[in-house]
Amino acid sequence: MSWVLHRVDDRLIHGQVVIAWGHRLNPRTIWVVDDASAANSWERDLLQSAAPGVEVRVLTVAEAAARYGEVAAVQGPAFLVVRDLATARALVEAGAAIPSFNLGGLHYAPGKEKVNEYIYLDESDRSAARALEARGVELVVQDVPASRAQRLGSLDPESAAS
Amino acid sequence: MSPPTPALLVMHADLAAALLRAAELVYGPIEGVEVLSNEGLSRADLEREVERRVAHWTSGGLVFTDMAGGSPHISCSAVARAHGEIVVVTGLNLPTLLDFLHNRDRFGVVELAERLRAKGQDSIRIQRGQKV
Repeated sequence: MSWVLHRVDDRLIHGQVVIAWGHRLNPRTIWVVDDASAANSWERDLLQSAAPGVEVRVLTVAEAAARYGEVAAVQGPAFLVVRDLATARALVEAGAAIPSFNLGGLHYAPGKEKVNEYIYLDESDRSAARALEARGVELVVQDVPASRAQRLGSLDPESAAS
Repeated sequence: MSPPTPALLVMHADLAAALLRAAELVYGPIEGVEVLSNEGLSRADLEREVERRVAHWTSGGLVFTDMAGGSPHISCSAVARAHGEIVVVTGLNLPTLLDFLHNRDRFGVVELAERLRAKGQDSIRIQRGQKV
């Protein structure tokens, strides 16, 4: 198995991931890395039902970091999805050697500033983004494969590592 | 006859509003059916909004979504978990919505949902072109 998409999206698994990216990259497996979902059996079932025909695993950050390197032994492309930049940062800092994240949906909440139609960030998001960039992790904004990919740092200079 | 079952349509972009408008052109004025778009909403915010819309349903209702696996369907399924009298039906189309409108005061929520699933599945048909 090889990692073909690492996605930051507050909807976790949903249409853009399963339909748009799924038809382009044909994942056999999707890892949802989210401590809260991993602790909730009903939520795990819900996420597993959201991607028919794909093996969905719901893991904690610690489990995913420990097992990130194992995937080469299994066949087929794989996606990894986290809900926010803080989780992405935690996963990388816990040892997962992730080269880049696709930023596909961080929606408006009070205190967040608009970067584009589907990315809103506050200072804690930007701090996580800078920490990821400082480790050499690329952050690319692109909701679906047909739209233009742009570096987060070019859209939002405050998110770029100095 | 029983009080008409309320419904909420939760779909991508403008689909729910467009479906309801199309149904009104065929059926006439419709009451007790609300629409909601997922556009620009995180899953948490979408769940909160669905929760708010169904909070006044004292004896249950139907939530219609457009596609299994989409954020409307996932969010509505999560909300329905805490509401025993709510049934989520996904894959709604115009004939199925019209069947709901014509039968919403004749069946209980679960029986109505089962009927709509059968009606919806039967509503997808093909007509091959012919050379004349």
